[in-house]
Amino acid sequence: MEQEQITVDLPKFGPCTFEAGEVLDFPWGLPGFPDLHRWLPLNLDSHPTFVWLQSLDDTSVALPAVDPWMVFETYDPKLPPYAFTSLEIREATEFATLCVVVVTPNAEEMTINLMAPLIINLRTRKGRQIVLDGSAHSPREPMPRKMPASSKSA
Amino acid sequence: MLVLSRKINQSIMIGDDIRIVIVAVDPYQVKLGIEAPRTVPVHRSEVYEEIRRTNQEALGAAPVATGKPERATLKPRTKPNR
Repeated sequence: MEQEQITVDLPKFGPCTFEAGEVLDFPWGLPGFPDLHRWLPLNLDSHPTFVWLQSLDDTSVALPAVDPWMVFETYDPKLPPYAFTSLEIREATEFATLCVVVVTPNAEEMTINLMAPLIINLRTRKGRQIVLDGSAHSPREPMPRKMPASSKSA
Repeated sequence: MLVLSRKINQSIMIGDDIRIVIVAVDPYQVKLGIEAPRTVPVHRSEVYEEIRRTNQEALGAAPVATGKPERATLKPRTKPNR
């Protein structure tokens, strides 16, 4: 079946065309953004390792995130049962994990939120930010220096 | 705000399936037991608040990225879990 093509003009990134089926649904919003449910994951040439979560409900909002295992190979989030049940995740192979990054002009001050990964069911496109309360993971873990230099171009 | 008085081992119900039990009390601390369905997240407020703040900082600090936005393909973790 042909997917509906949608074009939006994004304040940060300019015009962008996508298909309705690519949109992520965060039914519970995100902490700090409880009313923003529809997000589009984007890549940009200038920051190739980042996935930008672009809100479609408020196009001025875009959050940079990365695959945590690209920077912390041993990252081992213990997801609570509600993560799997509320997102209807049945298998480990069907969800993606992203961590929000605070990008700073000085690359040495960048931090990554390992305490609250974004878990996305790739089958249903439903996502949720899961707070690992009681874990040793920091919400402001300094980004290791091996992060690609492209992020400095900001 | 609804304010209720409870003694140790007494509880309150929130809706049909969330029960909060007073487990222990001392002058500076109350220990609560929480029984909730597996679909309900339970957090200490300050932890949730910290996540809210870091999300908003991530937005505020985000530089203007350049280049054509391409749709990102999300993948499951490729490395097997230990």
